[in-house]
Amino acid sequence: MVEIAEIAVSAAELKLGTEPVQGAGVRLSLAEGKVRYSMRARDPKVLEGVLGREVPKRIGGTDAGIACLGPDEWYVVLPDNFDLPRGEGLPVSVVDVSSRALGLVLEGPGALAVLCSGCPLDLAKMGVGRATRTVFETVEVVIWREAEDRWHVEVWRSFATWLWNAFLAAMPDAK
Amino acid sequence: MLLIHCPYCDEARPEVEFAYGGEAHIARPVDPSTYSDEQWEEFLYIRSNPRGRHHERWRHTHGCGRFFNAVRDTVSDVFETTYKAGEARK
Repeated sequence: MVEIAEIAVSAAELKLGTEPVQGAGVRLSLAEGKVRYSMRARDPKVLEGVLGREVPKRIGGTDAGIACLGPDEWYVVLPDNFDLPRGEGLPVSVVDVSSRALGLVLEGPGALAVLCSGCPLDLAKMGVGRATRTVFETVEVVIWREAEDRWHVEVWRSFATWLWNAFLAAMPDAK
Repeated sequence: MLLIHCPYCDEARPEVEFAYGGEAHIARPVDPSTYSDEQWEEFLYIRSNPRGRHHERWRHTHGCGRFFNAVRDTVSDVFETTYKAGEARK
């Protein structure tokens, strides 16, 4: 008698990895110990005054953990010992969104191929140190190219398990 | 894949990042209470629906998040140009 393997995988069977996974020139791991902020300001100068440092102005630009996502929006990923001033009373919004998202890190020569399996952008042309919000299949992500072969992918917590498994599924084909 | 030029990002980006936002340059009445039912109906529902050049709003939802305006040919689906919200009709 032939055993027929189950092909349907229910959502309940999907697990978010706690240990890094390695294979086919790619290493997938969770970026832990991060603090995240969403910052909004119509005038970047007011925000710079609150933070006491410059913020990148060009969309897609990053500077020491701060990524410019839109003309009035910035996303911050820093080690969790950082605490940013909130700028109370000023026309800025600095909100701690650490619990909202998780960071997945793809490293190695095959990392680009894994990301390209579901992202419509031409990521090969994305410069090192650039970050952008985009989609992976239908899941919204922020992709951050930290080095030539190192990509940090921010994804909302509820999508993270799916994204982790989508990356796993793409890894054997990465070259 | 259809690429749309986002005037804020200043990049051609894939269509799946965008959301369509209906016809552009329809100003909300300053004082709606003075409007008759017919005028209100026209503001809410009546659109030009042209064959050819169409001014429309798009939002770069999965990108910079901004609304902008575009001129698209409704027959060929070619984007003639895109420009920032608030700029004059092109």
